[in-house]
Amino acid sequence: MEFFLLGLQQLGDLPVVLAMVFGAILGVIVGAIPGAGAAVTISILLPTTFGMEPLTGMTLLLGVYCGSAYGSAIPAIMINTPGSPVAVLTALEAKPFVDRGEARRAMSLAYSASFVGGVTAVLALMLLTLPLANVAKNFGSAEFAMLALAALVLVVVGHTGRRVEATAAMAFGLFLATIGIETAFSTQRYTFGQTSLLGGIPLVPLVIGLFAMSEALVQLTAKTVERPPVQLGGTFFQGFGEVFRYKVTLFGSSIFGIICGIMPGVGEFLAQQVNYVWARKLSPDGANFGKGAPEGIIVSEATNNSVPPAALIPMLALGIPGEELTAMMLAVFLVHNVVPGPDLFINRPEFVAGLYWTLLLMNFVIIGFLLVATGAIARAALMNKRFLGVAILTLSLIGTYASNYRFSDVGIAMVFALLGYVLRSHRWPLTPILLGVVMGPILEGRMRQALGGANGDLTIFVTRPISAVMVLALVALIVFSFRGWLKSLGGKPGWQSNDY
Amino acid sequence: MSEKKETGANRLEAMALTVIFFLCSATLLGLIGTATRTNARGGWWTQPWLMPSLALGVLVLTNAITLWREVADIRKHPPSQDEKQAARSAILSWLLPLEFLTYFGAYVWATQHTGYAVGTLLFVLFLSWRAGLREKRWFLAGLGLVLFMVLVFRVGLGVWMPAPDYYDLFPKEIRTMLMRWF
Repeated sequence: MEFFLLGLQQLGDLPVVLAMVFGAILGVIVGAIPGAGAAVTISILLPTTFGMEPLTGMTLLLGVYCGSAYGSAIPAIMINTPGSPVAVLTALEAKPFVDRGEARRAMSLAYSASFVGGVTAVLALMLLTLPLANVAKNFGSAEFAMLALAALVLVVVGHTGRRVEATAAMAFGLFLATIGIETAFSTQRYTFGQTSLLGGIPLVPLVIGLFAMSEALVQLTAKTVERPPVQLGGTFFQGFGEVFRYKVTLFGSSIFGIICGIMPGVGEFLAQQVNYVWARKLSPDGANFGKGAPEGIIVSEATNNSVPPAALIPMLALGIPGEELTAMMLAVFLVHNVVPGPDLFINRPEFVAGLYWTLLLMNFVIIGFLLVATGAIARAALMNKRFLGVAILTLSLIGTYASNYRFSDVGIAMVFALLGYVLRSHRWPLTPILLGVVMGPILEGRMRQALGGANGDLTIFVTRPISAVMVLALVALIVFSFRGWLKSLGGKPGWQSNDY
Repeated sequence: MSEKKETGANRLEAMALTVIFFLCSATLLGLIGTATRTNARGGWWTQPWLMPSLALGVLVLTNAITLWREVADIRKHPPSQDEKQAARSAILSWLLPLEFLTYFGAYVWATQHTGYAVGTLLFVLFLSWRAGLREKRWFLAGLGLVLFMVLVFRVGLGVWMPAPDYYDLFPKEIRTMLMRWF
């Protein structure tokens, strides 16, 4: 109880409250603009938070992260264009509503399902993270090394149909993480005599280049298609009460999203797709899924909004990201010198508890903003793609140059922008690269510690019970995935879990 | 990005990309002996080459698998002349982002000589024009964007940017104001 009260005290800090409101509103807006989104915005805003207190900076970026999940429903409904891949099902299910002149009803169904999913997941975060962190206090280097490895493997496995490409991207990220001076003997690795590389590849230019600038290049070179907005028909508040007619679907989807969020590598897209299929089978109204069923929107929105807060559970407690964007959030934590894991709860309880409360209140801020500003946000969703590209590229300067005032950082960002552009064009996933860069040093450091303690004996990973269980689970997962891959050889690649 | 790329990349273009990735990763792996060191003291697990060689080994292997799949597919379904032509165009289109990146590099350089606000204004207006946004409304939208950026980043968040030399020509009070806000 004292722990939670400590967090409430943080809300008395005006900058934290302002960051929460601004971040949430910005998140909704960028989530509604196809091509903008949380990854682009977080990467651009990241360097501007360096001068803020960690809680203020993190609240701002988490606001963008959570708000974007709500905002993506707006273009999905208004212009039948998902703001992000996780809004595809909403777009599919909402179209018949729009055709019937019930766009407002679809909107309010989406908002209220998102709200319930988001709040339920934050409550799960508040209740489950501390116990999990307490369990992790018993972990040694071998267990943490296996957890880091698990995060990498699970994210690769989550990229169904693109696992080979995801593995390559992750390995590339791991390689990038090794560039610079290594810690054991202070020798240089792959610097080729460049002093600017001695400190390694800087994370901020890499993130901005790979996620923001490459997106700007895609938008600048895209063919623009003007889409007329739909008229907002129906009653706005109708769907708010309506969701509670489908309690099982609503709370079942939220809980399913939480479980998927906790499991590293699953992510919103996969969670949503699996839950949609199950809900269609189990619902008495299953035959109407895809034809404008209220439950279809509820499943889609409740699931995708419950994943992000739940994905913070393993990240805060264990230091491993639960889904795609959490890998970026892990980078944000590390840039702010906040190292997630069990020690965080001992050393900075006020920070963690403050984060809980801001995440909870954020949902109320977002829903309030959506009620008054949906029409205006819908117009933002129609923003010209090329102008969006101009805006993103211009904003990228703040991050690439103004964070360190080094031209070498700009060069690095430009290289990664080009790489990101080419990879996006070929649907290669980008997030595993970031995950490799972030998790690489953790994996290498923990492996060295574990093996050093065992004098190089590799059996250390199977003689410690928790580590042994992790190794077995990982081996089983890899074997099953490999079998699936062998079966798919010769077939066409299927869908992938994200756009990045 | 063209409509074609959104639905599925050209097979030959994709293979060209994989060949580049494979050659780069294999070259980096080949350089492991010169780009890292082996230390006589310490166990094998502490050697600086261990992690890069593991990462690059996986990268080479996955690129080889991708290449093998692509070659097998092309041998099974040989590309038509149209597809070959489309691949050439697609590969050339890789140069298009380079043009925009060059403008970005010039923008970064220009801000040091013109100041952030002026440099950003020039960049936004030029890039909008180059991207085909040449109507009056886009000019006004560009002005709005620059105003927003200056207000948020320079005035609001106080992000520091180097002052250009010509600011010294102004009286002290104006110079201070320019350095702080523009």
